[in-house]
Amino acid sequence: MSKKRKASLHIITSFLMLFVAGFTQVQAQDGKALFNANCASCHKIDKDLTGPALQGIEDRWPSKDLLKTWIKNWPDAVKTGDAYALKIKDWSPAAMTSFTSLQDADIEAILTYIREWKPATPAPVAGATAAAKSEGDNSLLFGVITLVLALVALILLQVNSNLRKLADERDGLPVEAAVPFYKNKTYLALTTVILFIVAGVYISKGAVGLGRSKDYQPEQPIYYSHKVHAGVNQINCLYCHGGAQEGKHANIPSVNVCMNCHMAINEYKGEPLYTADGKEVNGTNEIKKLYEYAGFTPGQPWDPSKAKPIEWIKIHNLPDHVYFNHAQHVKAGQVACQTCHGEIQNMGEVKQFSDLSMGWCINCHRETKVQFKDNGFYSIYEKFHEDMKNGKMDSVTVEMIGGTECQKCHY
Amino acid sequence: MKKLSILLTAVSALLIVACSSEVKRKPGSIYMPDMANSRAYETYADHSNLKDKNINYNNQPVAGTVSKGETYVYHLAKDANGDTANYFASRLVENPVTSLNADELKEAERQYLINCGICHGEKLDGNGPLWKGGEGPYPAKPATLVGDAKYEAMTAGTMFYSITYGRNLMGAYASQLTPKQRWDIIHYIKLKQGKVAAAAAPAATAAVVADSTKATK
Repeated sequence: MSKKRKASLHIITSFLMLFVAGFTQVQAQDGKALFNANCASCHKIDKDLTGPALQGIEDRWPSKDLLKTWIKNWPDAVKTGDAYALKIKDWSPAAMTSFTSLQDADIEAILTYIREWKPATPAPVAGATAAAKSEGDNSLLFGVITLVLALVALILLQVNSNLRKLADERDGLPVEAAVPFYKNKTYLALTTVILFIVAGVYISKGAVGLGRSKDYQPEQPIYYSHKVHAGVNQINCLYCHGGAQEGKHANIPSVNVCMNCHMAINEYKGEPLYTADGKEVNGTNEIKKLYEYAGFTPGQPWDPSKAKPIEWIKIHNLPDHVYFNHAQHVKAGQVACQTCHGEIQNMGEVKQFSDLSMGWCINCHRETKVQFKDNGFYSIYEKFHEDMKNGKMDSVTVEMIGGTECQKCHY
Repeated sequence: MKKLSILLTAVSALLIVACSSEVKRKPGSIYMPDMANSRAYETYADHSNLKDKNINYNNQPVAGTVSKGETYVYHLAKDANGDTANYFASRLVENPVTSLNADELKEAERQYLINCGICHGEKLDGNGPLWKGGEGPYPAKPATLVGDAKYEAMTAGTMFYSITYGRNLMGAYASQLTPKQRWDIIHYIKLKQGKVAAAAAPAATAAVVADSTKATK
């Protein structure tokens, strides 16, 4: 065999191998696509859903032909009187759909996909712990530095007065009796003034803050992460808090709304979760807590009448003498949730973003421009509409339509 | 001795400042909380003590009553576990909503995107953010509403039954959507499937206005 011929044979072989490899790749992908299109609505490979888990399906069936018959049209397999087919028929009250359109090759591809399927290993998340720890603020450091500097200044003052005393002594001037620094009137006056200022700041700050609970972040009965639900999984706020567009309260969802998804989602596989204190949270355990409230056992049908309400802790509280209506702001005013609640889609544990003080409300009413365009709610303000059309004004604030009148919120 | 006590006070004050947690777990104190804690029975107030005061309160509607303004009364009850009689019978119920104008359709689409889109996808392809082609947290593939013969053939009545009471892994949406909203959404789905003719609304394909409440990433 000549060298040239050998080389060409090599090339042909490698091409052939590439082709074969490519072909199996395509087939495996086909299996996945076919599985997702036909089976995944009811079956998962490693977990019972509406239908049983499919891992090791070929070992469970007495023969592959019978399995294929079952997949194509399961009553045919039952008719053969096979013991396993009879048993699996009663696995669930939900009957399997017939897949007469699937070819033998398709089923083979799906079975290959199931056989070669491996659970995805969670990707190691580097630096998550570091990121979770918030950067501590520097106020303590600054405080210490201030204290040290003040001490240095004090020592220098003391040294200064001692030196002067020595100099006076040498010059033969009369020397005052030494006064200890804690009896020195200048020092005492200085300390009193500083204490007065510091105490005043703290007292007035505390008095203003009475009854306001900005940054309030209580520990809830279940670690429910808005970041996971509204952020990562992009669930609309109104999916759970639909009341925000209907009435006064943005309702807290009842357990059945949680169970809409969590009947199926019973484990957490996303990025690690942390409480506000930096403790790691096991998401799967938190879902189990939900199941306890719901009275749900995975794998069994759920009876909603067994559910007990979850006693969430209310964070945002307005006193009774203020009337606030969510629908007015969300539906008529088209205000985004985040305007008042902060970046809720990034919060692991929810905290009160605004102080909900009257000044805060009034300020927003003064500055916010009402969405007059294409908003039937405000059609009554004909003069403003006309003025805007004529170019006399470009926008209307909430204040201009009575948003700062006392009785708007207090009546 | 005196100096020692001054030093101790200073050190302990420093310690208290340094150790106080940054996380505010308590709501804080309140001055004259007369109206801060509502005396009225608000939505989420504890109602368990009403019986002691001889107040009879039932938050369930009386069986068989229809709420005011309810136009679409649905008579099929939920099947008992393992039974499919009513599910099967539901296929004959016709959609009372036969046409939607442009505004109503926009509202139906908005409701679809809020409540259904997370699983069934913005394009009704069964690939919403919770499934994401198998990458999402939801373990089962949501139904492909457009493009799958099974769901294109499904009648509006069967869809209504499934939305109202849940089906297989899908939960019940009766608490989130009124019957009218449910029928509107079904009309929207059927319209996307091309099963019902678009009414004299040329705005059938009008883009949805950006939803102010949608969580942006």
